[in-house]
Amino acid sequence: MKHKVLKTALYVVLALVGVITVFPFVWMVLSSFKTNGEIQSIVQTLLPQEPTTDNYMNLQQTFDFLRYFMNSIFIAVAVTVLVIYTSCLCGYVLGKYQFKGKNIIFGFVMMTMMVPWSVTIIPRYTMFMEAGLQDTYISLILPVMVSGFGIFMMKQNMESIPDELIEAARMDGSNEFQTFHKLVLPLCKNGISAIAIFQFLWVWEDYLWPYLMIDSEEKQLLAVGLTLFNGRYSTDYGGLFAATTISILPVIIVYVIFQKRFVAGVAAGAVKG
Amino acid sequence: MFKRRPLQSKSEIWMRNIAMGFLIIYMTIFLIIPVVIVIAGSFHQWNPLNQTYNWIGLDNYVRMFSYPTFWQSMANTVIFCVVVVFFRVLLGLAIAYALNSKLMKHKTLFRTIFYMPTVTPLVAVAYVWKIMYNPQFGLIDNIFGLDINWLFDSNFALPALMVMTIWKDFGYAVILFLSGLLSLPSDCYESASIDGANAWQTFRYITLPLLKPTMLFVVVTSIISYLQAYVPVLVMTTGGPGTSTYLSSYLVYDQAFKQYNFGFASAISLFILVLTALFTVISFKVTGANES
Repeated sequence: MKHKVLKTALYVVLALVGVITVFPFVWMVLSSFKTNGEIQSIVQTLLPQEPTTDNYMNLQQTFDFLRYFMNSIFIAVAVTVLVIYTSCLCGYVLGKYQFKGKNIIFGFVMMTMMVPWSVTIIPRYTMFMEAGLQDTYISLILPVMVSGFGIFMMKQNMESIPDELIEAARMDGSNEFQTFHKLVLPLCKNGISAIAIFQFLWVWEDYLWPYLMIDSEEKQLLAVGLTLFNGRYSTDYGGLFAATTISILPVIIVYVIFQKRFVAGVAAGAVKG
Repeated sequence: MFKRRPLQSKSEIWMRNIAMGFLIIYMTIFLIIPVVIVIAGSFHQWNPLNQTYNWIGLDNYVRMFSYPTFWQSMANTVIFCVVVVFFRVLLGLAIAYALNSKLMKHKTLFRTIFYMPTVTPLVAVAYVWKIMYNPQFGLIDNIFGLDINWLFDSNFALPALMVMTIWKDFGYAVILFLSGLLSLPSDCYESASIDGANAWQTFRYITLPLLKPTMLFVVVTSIISYLQAYVPVLVMTTGGPGTSTYLSSYLVYDQAFKQYNFGFASAISLFILVLTALFTVISFKVTGANES
């Protein structure tokens, strides 16, 4: 009896927190199908009274939303793939090899995670401007293709691979490059999923760096596009709801698909850390 | 047996040299050189727009410590960190503990939901919350029947940003505490229940001390990330009303890329770096001492 009461109480509390967590998203999606008049009316309803897809249709007309979206996908995927590869490579060497100076290098990698963006962004801006790299995608990819967080996560993941497995591959005459690509990489799916989602999200939401680097409108990314949109069409709440929905949904979909591996990967990185 | 084995084959040495060589060169270009530039820049009057770069010694630092907005932003950042980290740890631990209970089913569903805000892009989320705080048709005033102009009232603007941040970030703490709870040794609990410890005693004297590393990880990573927070301020309040929502990193953004005072902004950013480093070292020292 006591257990039953406790169980119900737990469910109620957790469900309540769950509703609070999800509600802003639901509200955002539903509002994106409302007209501007309805969004700003005094009498508020959750469901759109006269559902319309105009907000989505107008988005493309008022500014080149699809273009920003595709640019963001391209940059986010490119950076994520590069970060995964460099993190796995460095994580493998730091996790599985014994050599002089290893701890110093790893300690340095850990220190880099502490350095705030505000310290590096001013010199980085100066360096890229002087190198004439403004308004190129190289400037968006180059400074973020190695991640201290990624190397740290992958080192933890690599350490959990049994040495015997790697040793057996070596006995079979596989050189290290083959071992790394054919044996080690496929064994790190959890860690890779965790890095993939985080890195994708970080690039997807990064605002300041693309804002500083990219001048031409056709190269601009979605996060900056959102702020431009809000500045130019400040009263178009319906459009803003549609734009935020489009920029939030892809990440949620990717997350829901990969969430099992992702959670396992996050957990593995943190427990040992 | 294999653990302490030195590198044997040529391909292992190649592999190490390529990976570590690349890492060291990359870190030098994108980290060490920039930090040197920032330190040098903080001693200069530096404005990239009109090409000034004049040595002024410690003037930027003197100006920083006598600049009221700097102190206001530090105070805001401290309040922001303390409140948000407190709720993040409290909610994270309580929810993880509840989810870990044997009474609960549908754990994956709950976990997926709680973690959702963490994996959504902050710029977009901040816009949604900005509309949620709208006094005419925003969700918050409507649901709670309030009449508060959250983002334009200096008493409520900073708390409004904190509420949004807690909502967005508590799920990360839930996941971390949950994995911490799952990794606890079960024999401790068996002996505790044999000794007749009640649920609260077990939590207080066994679970909590064992979760200390996880707690430290959550607190340190949270503070490091909030010392760097600027997007919510940029999108929702631009520091206002007045300077009531200036956070330290937003001040750097404002000084560097709105006023183009690169030298002054460099000095502030170095102060944030020192603060981050100090904080990390102290927290590891404290827990290290407790464990021994």
